[in-house]
Amino acid sequence: MLAIENLRVVYHDVISVLNGISLEVKEGEILIIIGANGAGKTTLLRSVAGMIDFYDGDIIEGDIKMEGSSIKGLDAADIMKRYGLTYVMEDRPVFWYLTIEENLGAASFSRWDKHVKTDMEEVYEYFAVLRSLRNKRAGYASGGEQQMLAIGMALMTKPKILLLDEPSLGLAPLITEELFSIIKKLNESGITIVLVEQNANAALNIGIRGYVIETGRIVLDGKAGELLENEDVREFYLGSGEKERKSYMDAKRYKRRKRWL
Amino acid sequence: MIDLIQTLGSGILVGLVYALLGLCIVIIFKASEAFNFAIGEFLILGSFLFYVLFFNESLPWHRALPLGVLIFLFFSYVLFFDIDLNFLIAVPLGIAAGLLIFCFLFFGLKLPSLITSPLIRFMIALPLGLLAAGIVGSMVERLTIKPLLGRSPISMTIVSLGLGFFLRGCIQLIWGSHSYSFFLDLPDITIEIGDLLYLSDPIWAGILSLLTFGLVIVFLFRTRWGLAIRATSEDQSKAMAFGINARFILMIVWAISALCIAVAGIMISNFGALQVGMSYVGLRAIPVVLIGGMDSIGGALVGGIIVGICEALAGSYIEPMGLVGFKEVAPYLLLLIVLFIRPYGLFGTVRIERV
Amino acid sequence: MKKKVYFVLAFVLAIFLLAGPATAKEIKVLSQFPMSGPVGSLPEFGWGYIDGMNWVNNEGGGVNGKKITWFLEDFRYNPTVEVANFTRYCAEHSKDELLMATGYITGGLKPLIEKVNKEEKIPWLDGSYSTEIFGEKGGPSKYPYYYSLGATYGNQIRALIKWIKENHKAKGKPRVGFVYSPTAWGRDGTPEGIAYARKLGFDVVAEIEYPYTATSATNECMTLRKKKAQYVIFHGYSGASACTAIFFKTAKKIVKNIQLMGTHYTTSRFAILTSQEAYNGYVGVATRPFSDPIPRASYPKDNAMVKLAHDFAQKYRPDEYKKGLRGGIKDIFLYIEGLTYAFMIQKTLTDADNMGELTREGVKKALDNMVWDFKGMFGGKKFSYKSHTIPMLQIFKGKVKMVKMGDKMVPTGGVLPITDWINTDEVKW
Repeated sequence: MLAIENLRVVYHDVISVLNGISLEVKEGEILIIIGANGAGKTTLLRSVAGMIDFYDGDIIEGDIKMEGSSIKGLDAADIMKRYGLTYVMEDRPVFWYLTIEENLGAASFSRWDKHVKTDMEEVYEYFAVLRSLRNKRAGYASGGEQQMLAIGMALMTKPKILLLDEPSLGLAPLITEELFSIIKKLNESGITIVLVEQNANAALNIGIRGYVIETGRIVLDGKAGELLENEDVREFYLGSGEKERKSYMDAKRYKRRKRWL
Repeated sequence: MIDLIQTLGSGILVGLVYALLGLCIVIIFKASEAFNFAIGEFLILGSFLFYVLFFNESLPWHRALPLGVLIFLFFSYVLFFDIDLNFLIAVPLGIAAGLLIFCFLFFGLKLPSLITSPLIRFMIALPLGLLAAGIVGSMVERLTIKPLLGRSPISMTIVSLGLGFFLRGCIQLIWGSHSYSFFLDLPDITIEIGDLLYLSDPIWAGILSLLTFGLVIVFLFRTRWGLAIRATSEDQSKAMAFGINARFILMIVWAISALCIAVAGIMISNFGALQVGMSYVGLRAIPVVLIGGMDSIGGALVGGIIVGICEALAGSYIEPMGLVGFKEVAPYLLLLIVLFIRPYGLFGTVRIERV
Repeated sequence: MKKKVYFVLAFVLAIFLLAGPATAKEIKVLSQFPMSGPVGSLPEFGWGYIDGMNWVNNEGGGVNGKKITWFLEDFRYNPTVEVANFTRYCAEHSKDELLMATGYITGGLKPLIEKVNKEEKIPWLDGSYSTEIFGEKGGPSKYPYYYSLGATYGNQIRALIKWIKENHKAKGKPRVGFVYSPTAWGRDGTPEGIAYARKLGFDVVAEIEYPYTATSATNECMTLRKKKAQYVIFHGYSGASACTAIFFKTAKKIVKNIQLMGTHYTTSRFAILTSQEAYNGYVGVATRPFSDPIPRASYPKDNAMVKLAHDFAQKYRPDEYKKGLRGGIKDIFLYIEGLTYAFMIQKTLTDADNMGELTREGVKKALDNMVWDFKGMFGGKKFSYKSHTIPMLQIFKGKVKMVKMGDKMVPTGGVLPITDWINTDEVKW
């Protein structure tokens, strides 16, 4: 469905963030992308969603293809309208000074039609807590409610493929769990999901396939289950690998940069 | 007592016009956090565009033609890139728009010969003039502000400063720098009760400004475009991520702003005359928005009325005591006091802090 | 090193080559006008001056056959530029050659006064009607090299007050309000006028400063209405600026039966175009004959100077004359002003030459002794320069009628003289 081919992205013409990344998203799956801070996860999503210009970044090489046609250089709104690709930014991208209902309305701007009201009801079905807060300013909602609102807003755009950027950031484990179960439910309703996470354990548990990114490259890929079992992943992203290691010579390049969640 | 009522009344009427000026600053500030210093030039430009339509003024071909070409380029650009029309449709539409504008400018609109009633003529010319002002506003945004999207708001502010000088130069080139007589011949609604006297022109100015203000508020708070504008105002990147074309929205904001400024400009010109030098009226918006709060729409209304009353009171009570020219300073003095007490202005946003 | 020497040699050679031919003594004159700048573009000054000077040098006979080398500078309404230009020309040209200089409006500048009267001692024709320099407190003894081309503002306002005194019909003392701009020329002359009005026993009911930046005159006019003013003397504004039109229109609506009056620059063609009907009945004083009614063809043909100016404009600037408001000659008055300077310069230099003293002192003497009718500008009356001003003024009345032309209502009319030319030197104030 979505294919990224040898993508290279530079910020401010000098800072190279993605160094030739290639990956593929198949229809109907939950794809997990894990990686340390600064690995280029967010940049990858921004490039796909067509927002890299806004952050003064440039795609200098490679291509992004959605259902076979290139979406490189298209505007964010165009990509959303034509291909149903919605990007939920990190850090709970809700409009703080609008009420929750207005937030949902604003998100449905690109496809305003008669069904907006019923779609809103649908979102309230998924996230019951939002219904009681509908006339409250989003800025006053709690972190979990804001993240749910953000995903609700993404649903209002009627996405076919949803890019989620660290939805669990700063949330309590219980709420994270609830969130992930909702994400799984969304996937079951037919939305392809690309989930970028640092909370690798929870993510890989709901995911189907996964990629590991380090310094702008894919270093590992495989089935989610396999990744969960992978020793390197366990050590660096799950924090539960075997304590003893025979020799550092065995460690792969990416391992030397120890980064923990 | 009658004196006081008279003073307060005329202060409020002028204040409503100032409120409109404040609104124009506020919506741009909210959308891009930049202060539009070119407001005075937009004011004059809008008034001149209306003047051309209402008084059947025409331009020589060497001034009308470049404007027509500019409109053609702009329209094709917007239709092709922003509205995503086919190239073969966008360009002819652009040519049509350019040709139309050229004809208007070169031959005049011939409104006065078609319609004799000044009120109806006004009602036809006003939307057309405002439309033209809006187009110019969006054109200016496309050329100067859009390339700066996502950059520091300070750079936009500085650009607007330079833009002001540029626009003033353009207006002088096209219409010259002498003054034009301006009379709208709106129905006379002068109120005269004993010593109390309110002239027709300021009353019309107050009414139309308030009406425009109300329409803008309805647009912002009751329509989906308004919702999109408010969302974009809060955060451009978030809005873009949710499928709102922030660049197009920003253009619309500038168009609305230019349109409101044109209303204020027309009303101010109607007090007597129109001249390029009148662009300094735009500077009255500074105390208005700073008193009301840079990002508060209601604040602009209150700030405008406060500034209007303050000027009127200073003019009729303090100036006769020998402080000549105090009227010009009074709003700034008040501004100083307000900023001491409330640094964000009276209605400036209190930032949401989550606990 | 060698290169440097070559450069210096070449430079010196170039200077010699340039300086070589300039051996004969020339007659040089510097003129400055505000042709662009914040008040707008007024190229008419320059056109008039250029046409006038060309005529003087070619057909007019020059200074007894000798040609005048003239310099024209646009000082952009900026006093600093005016002083800088003047200083530059004084440094570049020798005292024997640069015999006269002229300036406009900003003449009352302190550094310029010092330079003209103490250092350079050059006869200076000034366009400002400054009462401070040319009135009783200044005058020839204090500023010996300053000459004005018109009666001072103080005298203009006094003439208006005298006119009120002679024409006041209502009962009681005349009630006069003063409205003036908070600028150097707005404040200049107003105190003299007020003092004179009090001396004649008028009620001075209001003194209002009305700024150039005003967009509404409601407050000012309400004050006048409250004080029941019968006459308003509106001083210090150009008839072309929007604030004039705003004030006139508002005053006519708010204050009943008010007599609007004004000084030289408000008595203009532009005021008719912008103030329109509100200008009807306006009484104003001017130091030049009114020359440009609407339509233009009906200009007063009995005045020789006005006729000459229209002929000149039609001959040398036919396009601009026809274009009028659209980038041509907006007001013939400005064109006449340029011509006036040219003729004045020719007359003065010729007089000096006839005396055999073609020096700065000689020019000053010629100006002091001049008795001239200025090519019939003042209806054949002659004036003398003993107060260092051309002391002539006339009172005019505005007459405006709105006429339907095509699909537009356009103002027609002009201002008509209602008194004879008054020589302010001869009037007992």
